[in-house]
Amino acid sequence: MFRKKHDRLTAGWVAVLAFVLGIETWVTPAAAQSPIKIGASLSLTGTYAALGQNQQRGYQLCAKQMNEKGGVLGRKIEFVLYDDQSQPATGVRLYEKLITSDKVDAIMGPYSSAITEAVANVNEKYKMPMVAPMASTTSIFKKGRKFAFMVQSPAEVYLEGLIDMAAKRGLKTVAIINEDTLFPKATVQGTVEIAKKKGLQVVFVEAYPKGNTDFSALMTKIRAANPDVLGAATYFDDAVAITRQMKELNVNPKMYGVTVGGDLPKFYELLGKNAEYVYGASQWEPELPYPGAKEFNESYKKEFPGADLSYHSAGGYGGCQALVEAIKRAGSLDGEKIREAVLKLDFNTVYGGFKVDQDGFQVSHKMVMFQWQEGKKVIVWPDELAAGKARFPAPPWNQR
Amino acid sequence: MRWAVLAALAIGLLLLALYPLVATGYGIRFMLQLFMWVALAQSWNLISGLTGYVSFGHVAFFGTGAYAGAILVTTHGWHWGPASLAGGVAAVILALIIGYPCLRLKGPYFAIAMLGLNEVMRVLVSYFEGLTGGGSGLSLPTLHASGQIYYAMGAAALAVTGAAHLLITSRVGLRFMTIREDEIAAEAMGINTERYKLYAFLLSAFVPGVVGGFFARDQGYIEPISVFPLLTTITMIVMVLFGGKGTIWGPVLGAVTLFVFQELVWARFLYLHQIFFGAIIVFVVLLMPRGILGVLQERYRLPRTI
Amino acid sequence: MGVTITPTMVGQVVISGLLAGALYSMVALGLALIYGVMRVINIAHGTLLMLGAYTTFWWFRLLGINPYLSLLVALPLMFFVGMLLQRTLVARVVDAPELSSLLLTFGISIALVNVAQLTFTSDVRSVEFLTGAFLVGPFALSKSRLVAFAVAVAITAIAFWFLQKTKLGKAIRATSQSSEVAMVCGINVHRIHLYAFGIASALASAGGSLVAVMVAIQPEMGQVYTFKSFLVIVLGGAGNYPGALLGGMLLGLVEQLASLFLTTQLSEAVAYVLLVLVLLLRPTGLLGGRAT
Repeated sequence: MFRKKHDRLTAGWVAVLAFVLGIETWVTPAAAQSPIKIGASLSLTGTYAALGQNQQRGYQLCAKQMNEKGGVLGRKIEFVLYDDQSQPATGVRLYEKLITSDKVDAIMGPYSSAITEAVANVNEKYKMPMVAPMASTTSIFKKGRKFAFMVQSPAEVYLEGLIDMAAKRGLKTVAIINEDTLFPKATVQGTVEIAKKKGLQVVFVEAYPKGNTDFSALMTKIRAANPDVLGAATYFDDAVAITRQMKELNVNPKMYGVTVGGDLPKFYELLGKNAEYVYGASQWEPELPYPGAKEFNESYKKEFPGADLSYHSAGGYGGCQALVEAIKRAGSLDGEKIREAVLKLDFNTVYGGFKVDQDGFQVSHKMVMFQWQEGKKVIVWPDELAAGKARFPAPPWNQR
Repeated sequence: MRWAVLAALAIGLLLLALYPLVATGYGIRFMLQLFMWVALAQSWNLISGLTGYVSFGHVAFFGTGAYAGAILVTTHGWHWGPASLAGGVAAVILALIIGYPCLRLKGPYFAIAMLGLNEVMRVLVSYFEGLTGGGSGLSLPTLHASGQIYYAMGAAALAVTGAAHLLITSRVGLRFMTIREDEIAAEAMGINTERYKLYAFLLSAFVPGVVGGFFARDQGYIEPISVFPLLTTITMIVMVLFGGKGTIWGPVLGAVTLFVFQELVWARFLYLHQIFFGAIIVFVVLLMPRGILGVLQERYRLPRTI
Repeated sequence: MGVTITPTMVGQVVISGLLAGALYSMVALGLALIYGVMRVINIAHGTLLMLGAYTTFWWFRLLGINPYLSLLVALPLMFFVGMLLQRTLVARVVDAPELSSLLLTFGISIALVNVAQLTFTSDVRSVEFLTGAFLVGPFALSKSRLVAFAVAVAITAIAFWFLQKTKLGKAIRATSQSSEVAMVCGINVHRIHLYAFGIASALASAGGSLVAVMVAIQPEMGQVYTFKSFLVIVLGGAGNYPGALLGGMLLGLVEQLASLFLTTQLSEAVAYVLLVLVLLLRPTGLLGGRAT
């Protein structure tokens, strides 16, 4: 029957494997059950591709490690992932597909506020809880939805640290620029409020279109406005371009901070020493002492060698942790019961505090502000988490 | 033969009408977006397939309708049905304003002017944020009406296909096509080309506007970059070319084939689908410029009005 | 919340506009060349620019040599890539209706952009070589943009010398005036198409190499430049080569001034409104259409 020797060997191994699997099934009968399916679509191509892929790795690592610990409710976890091409319309269709056609048991959010805003209507319709780690626009969670849960701090407070530090140093004027999309605009509104409250004068505000690469005229205006502080509500490409063109047009505020993108290792890689003195807002940094964060960093590096480790990955992981914890406490996959459980959660993920109010709005997670110092991100705000002192003021470009 | 075709059509429509009774939410969403593409492709066919004026910015009408509809729903509390019709009217008004001067432009100049129109509309919508919410987009009150929007989109697709049928089999349509074949000769034959071009343009703007309104309602959230993308125009064009431009059923065939294909490819090849799309475009342009129906017409001597 | 505009600020943006304009002129000259000889609008023009930019990036990343020297490699390389595209694909639609060439080149563009995404990833890259500015009185002159300006002016000048003085250049101009007459005169029009596409690709890629040192690059960067080049050649008169130069400078200035007096966002619309106005008032462009 077996013509070659190694065929026979293979057959032997198969038998052994079957036996081992059989024993395992016998020991933990639950493992034989079908896995719990968690669905998500992410921006794997298109504008947000780089960040969406980071988030995807967070999800994948979470599922892997949860399964190594035996899964949840005695079942394994399995992610069903699609690419929404950074387009809300595609996202809506894919979430509909995940819920009604793939029949997933729970869902996690997509990347970006804009796409979350669109797909949150879908899961609401089916009363299926969605933990949305990468949406920080307050309005998404404050319009009566019951099944969307926020993981990170809202857009409005991204630059709170920058303004707070400036106020403490007695600075007077601030200029704010932003990409003209949902999330950065919310940041601007919040920052203007905070600045007023802390007694700073907002001397210049202007938006630029998504995908803009030439900031010369905008920088010329900022140089004329001569603010003490410049805050930029950015994604990533624009944060890099603005920093370079500040140098090219010799714009020298005493403090300059960006919201998103400044935290990526690529930011320093691309800008080199021109990134020095730049402040960045971050939802999370690898060295923050949250439970499990160290293990997360190590296994992430092992699992995805060479890949970016950014807060998008940690947020994906932490959001997934929160969902799994809620399922565990609910002891069921029923949407209403998971919702009840999420609302009662008050714990720390690798991403930091997680506690939402009755609307699903995050109230526990904390932002930090770091500054690039000699190629390292040093957390300088808030004081209780600070690892170093801010280098202030930033010297003029030609003396750096 | 004629009866058999009509009977098949009637049965097909009946099945589509009953589909929501058995469909999943995804099935409905998929089909309503398919109807949307049929309506968009068919609308583009009315101007570009018939008169030969290549509109490279047709999504401008879609976006205008989406915003007009969404604004009426959110700030004036309209029902989405009439609001979307008003979106269509808004699109027609826009077409009237820009069509009159721009249709004097020939060939690639018209194409580029239309491309410009789309960019300008997107910027204006971003700029007047008091009305449109600007870059933050516009969020509509939550409403689960996919079932109704399914029928609305279906009706739009049916209506514009019916319009294409009426046109292609009528004298007016013949005039459109005369303009396509030779505008100077058409003028010499006594056709008021300026007027007929404008008619075709206005007709082709209305349905995208209405469909835009439906789309906004169905999505529940729109932003400038999501309703004015160049890629939407290109997709319309490729669908029409793939099926066969200037025909009645070509745009339907093209939209169905490409959209179903995209959906099937999507799930399997995460990173490759755009490359496929590019390759399909190159393939269609080089090897079957007259589309599937064009090839069939040639081979099987099908009537011109198909 | 804005600022009061001073003459110094106007001076600064005029400088920025001229620096950018020279680059636009050079890149758009390539598009004008293709349109001139073939009546084809090449939507993949910006994509070729992107490939040039990546050539420079990898040159600098792998060899660590002065990125501007990559022009010596990128130009001939992209010249051949352009000829290859023309030979295999574009040549088939030269006499077809304009929709065919628009779509074909769009298809090529989508495919190339996504191939670039697969091979180079969609990460943003940059060549950190010449940053910062020379400060002259109240004005700041960006170093990388100054070099880009100088190189673009030099390359454009060479291209013009080539078109005016060489035999091949004259044949190209003859073809763009009338390919039938050129053919009758014994010019191999297909060969001219091949060279024109090659030269145009080289011009686009030169733009990419210069841009790569100025701003961060990624696979989707090209589309913007395709649009800008459209604007330029329509402003100057499609197929009119000196017109492309004028159009480029004009676009650079208009963009910058509109960004200053209005907002960066509106400047995009202003450029297009200008385009439509020019089309309506002078359908053949400011200097008249077709090469003279």
